[in-house]
Amino acid sequence: MDQLLLILLNAAWQIAALALLALGLAIVFGLLRILNMAHGEFVMLGAYAHVIAGQLGLPPLTALPICILVVGLVALLIERVVVRHFYSRMFDSLLATWALSILMREIVEMIWGRAYRNVPMPVEGLVQLGGVSYPGYRLIVIFLVIAGFACLWLWYRKSLTGVRIRAVVNNPSLARASGINTSRFSAAAFVTGCVLAGLSGLLLAPMLGVEPSMGLDALIRSFFALVVGGLGTLEGLGIGVAVVGGVQAGLSAALSQTAGYLGVLVLAILFLWRRPDGLYRRR
Amino acid sequence: MGFIAAVNLALLGLLLAVPAVWGDFVTWQLGLYLLYGIAAQGVGLAWGRGGFLPLGNALFFGVAAYVSAMVLNATGGAFLPNLLAMLVCAALLAALAWGLAAAIFQGRTESGPYFSLITLALVLIVAQLAETAQPVTGGFNGYSGYDSIAGLDPYGNLYYLIVGLVVITSFCLMLLEKLPGGLILRGLVSQELRLQTLGFATHRVKAWAFALSAFITALAGGLYASHQGIVTPQATGFVLSSELLIWAAVGGRLHPLGPLVGAVVIGFLSAELRDTYLWWEVLIAFLFLIVVMMAPGGAVEMITRLARKLGWHAPKLTVAPNPAPPARAKAVNGPLTLRGVHVSAGGVHILEGLEFTCPARGFLCVIGPNGAGKTTMLKTITGAMPVERGEIRLGERDITNVPQYRALAHGIGRKMQIPTVFQDLTVDENLQLAALAGRTGPLDYFRVAPLGWQVPELGRLLDQPGVPLADLGPVAAGALPQGHRQMLELCLTLGATPHVVLLDEPTAGMSPEETGLMVRLIRDYQAQTGAFVLVIEHDMALVQSLDADVLVLHQGRRFAEGSFTEVRANPAVTEVYAGGHK
Repeated sequence: MDQLLLILLNAAWQIAALALLALGLAIVFGLLRILNMAHGEFVMLGAYAHVIAGQLGLPPLTALPICILVVGLVALLIERVVVRHFYSRMFDSLLATWALSILMREIVEMIWGRAYRNVPMPVEGLVQLGGVSYPGYRLIVIFLVIAGFACLWLWYRKSLTGVRIRAVVNNPSLARASGINTSRFSAAAFVTGCVLAGLSGLLLAPMLGVEPSMGLDALIRSFFALVVGGLGTLEGLGIGVAVVGGVQAGLSAALSQTAGYLGVLVLAILFLWRRPDGLYRRR
Repeated sequence: MGFIAAVNLALLGLLLAVPAVWGDFVTWQLGLYLLYGIAAQGVGLAWGRGGFLPLGNALFFGVAAYVSAMVLNATGGAFLPNLLAMLVCAALLAALAWGLAAAIFQGRTESGPYFSLITLALVLIVAQLAETAQPVTGGFNGYSGYDSIAGLDPYGNLYYLIVGLVVITSFCLMLLEKLPGGLILRGLVSQELRLQTLGFATHRVKAWAFALSAFITALAGGLYASHQGIVTPQATGFVLSSELLIWAAVGGRLHPLGPLVGAVVIGFLSAELRDTYLWWEVLIAFLFLIVVMMAPGGAVEMITRLARKLGWHAPKLTVAPNPAPPARAKAVNGPLTLRGVHVSAGGVHILEGLEFTCPARGFLCVIGPNGAGKTTMLKTITGAMPVERGEIRLGERDITNVPQYRALAHGIGRKMQIPTVFQDLTVDENLQLAALAGRTGPLDYFRVAPLGWQVPELGRLLDQPGVPLADLGPVAAGALPQGHRQMLELCLTLGATPHVVLLDEPTAGMSPEETGLMVRLIRDYQAQTGAFVLVIEHDMALVQSLDADVLVLHQGRRFAEGSFTEVRANPAVTEVYAGGHK
């Protein structure tokens, strides 16, 4: 019984962490039709907020504003200088953001070096759940993810901004004609997606550690979640995250980390081959 | 051929002179960079000619290196067995690449992010396997302690073997550019959809390009094992994969020599500057971004453009005209029939039980107000849009939901509503592709003669007075005015002598003279071949002049059918057009 609870908690943790990682990528792809290959590097940059706060001698909690500020500014700069030119050019945007990801990685390496760093848990201590004691910080993150997704879904479906966003996604030129500033909208969408990526890095850094190349794994797992769920909807993202996170958690627990990874890859290839629209299809 | 050949021979001479002039160490360095360059040539082929972005080609490089190292270890470095092992290993990896690409690209006409990320994930996994499978690969410390191939010295004679491989891959890639296979690849990058309607299975074309890319990269990896004397997980890592891409981009992915130049130049510069300047890697990454944004063709493209400005043109291969073999399409043994065809997209029902039988030969005009489902009907017949319910038959054959590239094999050619030609290719190259469509066998992709194929029907069409294309041979098709583009697309449609010709507004955007010419051409083709021609038109004068049966579509159904006079006299049809009640 306790064993089962632990497995369930671990799976919930994996799924929550993946949802957090994938959200930024899903937003940028869903709204701008750009697959942001530098997504993982924004995750990485967010995680480095811990390092910046430490170097400046600031209390750990200041990492949050630092993360938002740094990632937001970098994302804005990148959107204005590079990404802006690649809207509606799927293939070229892929390459451009890939080049950006290499550039960001190299710059971070130049500043902070290649070394792997540990980040202390912001919340220490274990929580007793039945016969299982589970790290409190993980439970907090799981709760935050669930609450955040629920709010986001409601906001997207019910708010006026949500309607505007759907209008722009549906028909950019018509939206422009109806008085929506699509250029500012695109910038806002890109920056939002990247800041969310940064925040996920910040929140997950205590578990993942911090290093320049940590973004790759984040990118690939997020992307696979999108592939399995179906690109471009929040509901699809939820399903994809659950399947991919679940498969990875299960295989990793049963066999090994590599097996978990391989399982997810095979799953993604099968989906691309047989069900290119993913599990959740928008009607 | 003179000038280009002279430049290439001078480059080769330079390569051969390196050991004598610059000594052992530079030779060793250059050998390594050339191997990287060959691997980057593989990436350049996939990206520049296949139009898709492989982010994990170090997979083939590294796996081939490990396998070569193990075979070298087992055989003590004997030349022939190891050469054979390298080739077999490269062929197996190429087969893997073929299957992967075919599976991912099947059923889609874009080369978007899926493929790239799958290859990236693969290379990460293989690197992880190489690190963890310590007993087999030596893990993190690498696999070493074997002889080089034929005992050749990496600082000495092995270099010549590497140069030999460089010559072979470069020559083969340059040759491919000149052959029908290369033309098809360029057509693929230019206009994938049109290539499919010409009967080429583009997912298989891409799969072949990726297989060749993997093969080349794997050969380089095989020699790498001999050159380095040790293979570590880095040889199959994502860092090398990215570097291959950077070299190909900066050097130039559109020319076989571009990636080589990129790898050698950046290789030497990095060796000099990497340790002195911390920001060197940042600079390279920045350079990559700049190339991607501003100079997609890279350095070699700039050089060739400059050379062209100075008046040095690459010689055009002249191919003697020769008769094209007959089209391979299956004979059509009956009329085209639609039975209860339902199609919907995004919640909108476009065709709702469309049902009619076309005549077996001659003309049928399809008219109807906008949104009636005319174009969708053509798309479903050629498999570009899936049929939900109902069936489409051609004679006795069921052709419901055939893949788009199979339509031509059933003898169906389609001209699209928005004229779709290979914009980046010249008019001549477009016409060459038209003659290749539906006639090529596997070997024809690697023979020169098919480029000179003459299709009688096409020749007749081009010889008609008023057809402007014959004089426009070297002009890029993207630069043609609308009317000429319509003519060119007609040629692309008729090149394979289809028995069923579907024309979607063939005279849209044409002057009255051009319209008259177009009608004459279509009539002439029909009279010569006895084909069935379906024309969608809004121009009633044209419909009248064709003097054929008219089918009126409205809201996804057959609304009326009959001769032009009958249909015109039908008050319901007038009402539909004049916007009466629905």
